[in-house]
Amino acid sequence: MLFPIRLLAVLATSLFLPLASAEHTNNWAVLVGTSRFWFNYRHLSNVLSMYRTVKRLGIPDSQIILMLPDDMACNPRNAFPGTVYSNSNRAMDLYGDNIEVDYRGYEVTVENFIRLLTDRVGDEMPRSKRLLTDDKSNILIYMTGHGGNEFLKFQDAEEIGAWDLADAFQQMWEKKRYHEILFMIDTCQANTMFSRLYSPNIIATGSSELDQSSYSHHADNDVGVAVIDRYTYYNLEFLENQVKDLSSQKTVGDLFDSYDISKIHSNPGMRYDLFPGGADVARSRLITDFFGNIQNVEVDQKENGALEEELLELGRTIAMLRQKEADELNQYNNATSVPASQPTEPVKHIRGATALTEDNWWTKKVVGATALAGCVGLWALGSFLET
Amino acid sequence: MTISLSASALSLRRDPRMLKAPPYLSFACILIGLIWLLVLPLDEYSRRTYISENALLPGQVHTYFGGSEQHVFRAYKEEVAALSGKDTHEINNSIEEILKGFGVKVGRQSYTYGAAGGAHSGENVYGILQAPRGDATEAIVLVCPWKTIDGSENRVGVALSLTLARYFKRWSLWSKDIILLFPPEPKVGTQAWVDAYHDAHDPRHVSPLPLKSGALQGALAIDYPSDHHFSTLHIIYDGVNGQLPNLDLINAVGWIAGNQMGIPSFIQGQYAHQNSYQDRLKTMFRGMLSQGLGNVAGAHSSFIPYHVDAVTLQPWGMGHQDEMAMGRVIEGSFRSLNNLLEHLHQSFFFYLLMSRDRFVSIGTYLPSAMLLAANFTIMAIFLWVKSGQAPESEGDKSKEKTTALDTSNTVERDMLLPAAIVAGSHALGMIPLFIFNRLPGDVLPHAFAIFSGISIVLPLIVSHLLTSFYKPTVQQSQLTKSFSLLVLGLSLSTLATLNFSLSFIIGLLATPLSFVQPTKSQPLRWGFAALLSLIAPPTIAYTAAMAAGADVGDLLRDASFGWNVLGVYTPVAIWGVWWPAWTVGTVNVLGFAAA
Repeated sequence: MLFPIRLLAVLATSLFLPLASAEHTNNWAVLVGTSRFWFNYRHLSNVLSMYRTVKRLGIPDSQIILMLPDDMACNPRNAFPGTVYSNSNRAMDLYGDNIEVDYRGYEVTVENFIRLLTDRVGDEMPRSKRLLTDDKSNILIYMTGHGGNEFLKFQDAEEIGAWDLADAFQQMWEKKRYHEILFMIDTCQANTMFSRLYSPNIIATGSSELDQSSYSHHADNDVGVAVIDRYTYYNLEFLENQVKDLSSQKTVGDLFDSYDISKIHSNPGMRYDLFPGGADVARSRLITDFFGNIQNVEVDQKENGALEEELLELGRTIAMLRQKEADELNQYNNATSVPASQPTEPVKHIRGATALTEDNWWTKKVVGATALAGCVGLWALGSFLET
Repeated sequence: MTISLSASALSLRRDPRMLKAPPYLSFACILIGLIWLLVLPLDEYSRRTYISENALLPGQVHTYFGGSEQHVFRAYKEEVAALSGKDTHEINNSIEEILKGFGVKVGRQSYTYGAAGGAHSGENVYGILQAPRGDATEAIVLVCPWKTIDGSENRVGVALSLTLARYFKRWSLWSKDIILLFPPEPKVGTQAWVDAYHDAHDPRHVSPLPLKSGALQGALAIDYPSDHHFSTLHIIYDGVNGQLPNLDLINAVGWIAGNQMGIPSFIQGQYAHQNSYQDRLKTMFRGMLSQGLGNVAGAHSSFIPYHVDAVTLQPWGMGHQDEMAMGRVIEGSFRSLNNLLEHLHQSFFFYLLMSRDRFVSIGTYLPSAMLLAANFTIMAIFLWVKSGQAPESEGDKSKEKTTALDTSNTVERDMLLPAAIVAGSHALGMIPLFIFNRLPGDVLPHAFAIFSGISIVLPLIVSHLLTSFYKPTVQQSQLTKSFSLLVLGLSLSTLATLNFSLSFIIGLLATPLSFVQPTKSQPLRWGFAALLSLIAPPTIAYTAAMAAGADVGDLLRDASFGWNVLGVYTPVAIWGVWWPAWTVGTVNVLGFAAA
């Protein structure tokens, strides 16, 4: 009796596993600052620091949606015009080279944010402002600003509620717009913002609990404002020191374990229950699964033979079309007599791609095998001579 | 249930004890109002000050004023010293030359005001330092009068302002233009300039400004005559008509001075503030007196009516802080103001400060003045109700009242005479208001003496005329007092929201008016009259002048100046509210029949 059950379990896991661990093929990042005004400099530098990190780990600008409500670099109060720093040592200008802000100024609204997530946008919306994800996309969503119990303020004018966010994520799930999401938020009472999420495959983390403030890390006394928040600062510290490149094997769990309440001055929260497999699976996800750009290739399930057949068919069609074109050209040249005095334009020949033909397939295989055998011979000879 | 309740309420209304209660209630209001004010300095009722505007970020920047700027300062100090004793035009020529020397646009404006017979004329010179990356929609002002509040030459202040201007010019981080204003003296020049800046000037007396910038967001004035090193900073904040700058400004400047520069600051001249109850109370009273009088306290005062938050900074005492430290306080404050995104609005505009870091806000202190005002209203309503009831006592002398006694004991009210007396006395109040603001300064003391005499005799004459020709009734006496107190209560409660201190002071001085009434006993009657003459407005004016060690003429000249130049409305409250109420009260005691 026991045996068949065990067998069933093994069978079930073997069936389920490839589904759950089905890999993502693209990475996206949505980085949102929600405050404007000079004294909120740190929120902008939080976002820009994250932007730099995901870019460092390979996510291209085309797959990063950056929302910045204010332009600190060009604020007249900025003692260092054209720059934004997230550290008072001012070692790295976050604004300097190559930055693409997708939503700026008063474009950063709750409506635009939700439309971005759910892709409910008009035809006129440029592709650079759209989140063109599919069910194989891993998305990092990072938000920062001034918040409260289950809300995050957008620009002194409006706020997004925890339910709004949860519903937007659910719509994304229903529309197959993500594979997995890492939701990260740095604001006062941040953990309340992800308390209402109910869609699967989401790992959420925030800087502070209900009734807790999120604090700034330090101020730059020449810029005259706080330059970064604590939670973001320590996240970045981990990412900069531990996740040096895409080959890093650090996991989300490692990042969460690095949080030190005595340094952050608030209690960071995590949420794993939405993730299939719970905390263990969620924590074992690599950092680079969300912050990096891992381009796993999805191998097509069709037989290789069929693909070759199709390619061959395509090649034959091309050959046929070429022949037809040549015939027509000949006919045209014969029909019209050109006066000798007029210079004729030289007939241009554009070399197209070589069409695939079936005849030299075996020859290619033989040539390749010979080259390989030659290499092996050379290597064998070399190692023999060395000893 | 409701029927029985309303029935009991009705019976309560008819209860004779109800009619006995109001005078006690009224007295309780006064007592509670006074105690209310006296407990405010306690820790339980006052609060520590805090900065509530996020944008200010005081003390978060390094200040770099110092070093080689010290040499620049010394050089300017020489130049300023050379101008000592010269006339305004020459001084302004030199300041203009210096300002233009480092690329600041300069404008000049002349003005002539007349008050108390004298002419106040002069010429302002000012420079606009345009923000290199700003949009010229906003500006902050550094005011440095050539004369200090005490009348001495503001030498260090002017040299420091010029050095700061030259230094500010080198920074590119200003979001607002910086205006440097050098009026010849702190009161009139600033007023003329601020009026003209807002196009609210009288073109007959004040010429328009040739050069303007954006909306003024804040102003600091320097009052720094002495050459020696100082120990503390006196922050002067009272504005015209008792208006105050936003508390955030005082806190921010105090914070920058204290926490960043290590210079303690104090207010209301309370140099040695031990933070004891007595010191706090004294500071609060000084603040209230200054607010109640409503006159200018410094060069910053004229800005406040235009909702430009401003304070004067006055280095004080002997210590080890030098001019550069003072310069850094101003630099830090300007960097804070520069951070502002909108007008200061987060913190309080209505407050009483107990010390530099303790305050009470309007919600906490207003009830005390309101209770004083309510005492008059309660008495007025009480007298109104009483005047409508026929007296039960045998002391009733009127004949017509007995007819109305059939069902209820109500009587017709004869309101013509009381209304005429009250309206007449308020109309008479316009006379002193007019003459004291129009007469030349040297006549003022004599005019005031004559007026004081008339003010004492007037009630006697009126009451003599009343008793001999009219034989006023008890009811008319009650109605006269009722109307007068009603107007007083109404005016004072309104005034309390605008100028708490003025309302409180007048309310307190007028409280006896609630309780004095005609009596049959002739000695008591004259006793009341004597008491009232002690609290008569002219008596108070003489006493106040004596207490302040000043001549009453100075007081009147200041008042006239305040009215004509600055738009101070304190005289209206005195001659239009207080004096008529006092006159009616005295007439009521002397000229009416007793109940």
